[in-house]
Amino acid sequence: MQQPAHTTATTHAPHKGAGFPPFKTETFPGQIFWLAITFVFLFVVLWRVAGPRIGGAIAMRKDKIASDLGAAEAHRKEADAASAAYDTALAAARARSRAMDDENRKRINDEIERAKAKAEAEAHDAMAKADAGIAASRSEAKGHVLQAAQDAAAQIVARLTGDKVSPEEAAAAVRAVAGS
Amino acid sequence: MNPMEQFEIHPIVPLHIGGYDVSFTNQSLLMCIVVAAASLFLTLSVSKNRLVPSRAQSMAEMSYEFVANMIQSAAGHDGLKFFPFVFTLFIFVLFSNFLGLIPGSFTVTSQIAVTFSLAAVVILTVLIVGFARHGLGFLKLFVPKAPILLLLLLVPIEIISFLTRPISLSVRLFANMLAGHTMLQVFAGFVILLGGAGGVLSVLSIAPMFLIVAIMLLELLVAFLQAYVFAILTCIYLNEALHLHDHH
Repeated sequence: MQQPAHTTATTHAPHKGAGFPPFKTETFPGQIFWLAITFVFLFVVLWRVAGPRIGGAIAMRKDKIASDLGAAEAHRKEADAASAAYDTALAAARARSRAMDDENRKRINDEIERAKAKAEAEAHDAMAKADAGIAASRSEAKGHVLQAAQDAAAQIVARLTGDKVSPEEAAAAVRAVAGS
Repeated sequence: MNPMEQFEIHPIVPLHIGGYDVSFTNQSLLMCIVVAAASLFLTLSVSKNRLVPSRAQSMAEMSYEFVANMIQSAAGHDGLKFFPFVFTLFIFVLFSNFLGLIPGSFTVTSQIAVTFSLAAVVILTVLIVGFARHGLGFLKLFVPKAPILLLLLLVPIEIISFLTRPISLSVRLFANMLAGHTMLQVFAGFVILLGGAGGVLSVLSIAPMFLIVAIMLLELLVAFLQAYVFAILTCIYLNEALHLHDHH
């Protein structure tokens, strides 16, 4: 009689530790009730507050990074353009300086050429004048030599033969000897 | 030292509504703590003005993107409509599992009533979405592409597998939590028994202590993994409701 009485006692008056707690159906309504309240609360918070907040923060960071990357790209393009402009300016300046250089060199060369030509012409004239002087002196000297030979010939003939030789004859004789 | 004692629900504030016992219990308290902790953490840690997130904000964003990516890979882009629902499920289960691991607290997800209710909400959502989107065409879910004769066999199998989903979904989470916590309690009991035995046995009590540490680490993994499994299965079921069998 004691055994069945004990069984009824445990089933009708559940106390701590009796039975498998998760399968105690009398706790189910309370569990589901509070689960519904807390779950719906969490759902509303995540749906309306936390979700948009986190999503917004992520989206904002993505936008910021994208816009920063865009700005960096724009700056890079600007820098490239500036560098290209500098290169072209440098090349133009170089070309101009080269042109000026060439022009100067040409002008100097021309001046040198002109001076040289003038100096040469002057030297040529002086030389021609000197040549003419020399030729005149030479013909003059030649004349003197003929005169001397004529005189000498006339005197030699006079000494040897005692004949007087006319200057014309002496000159013809000298010419005959010197002209041969 | 009954290892099942930790799963006992005792009322803190008795409350009865319409003949039902809906007392505020230790479990209700933990659910409130879970929801409060999750809400505060995911709200207060996040600031829009912070370009480089703090550690807490990183974690909040990581969980957000984790769930978003999970939905997108399992249920496609239009699955993102259900982001708040899946995110809530994931966070609720994750926080319940983790907070339950604190010694002396209570594991909300170790109660079949809780896990089954969550699973039922998932399946109801799937049914509502499926019928709203495809009408009676949603029933094609139970008819795979196969010869007619095979269908006689396959259709009942598909129906049974669909009907067992809420059970498998809820029992998986419930059983994992229950088993892990029971194991921890049993080994903790060994420590006390050996420690109280005196002599060499007291020294030996260090062995189950190390085991508890190891199991605790495993349970941390299980806590995350089960929350993940619950969420990803929800995504897979939602994908079927959205796209039937064929594609993403």
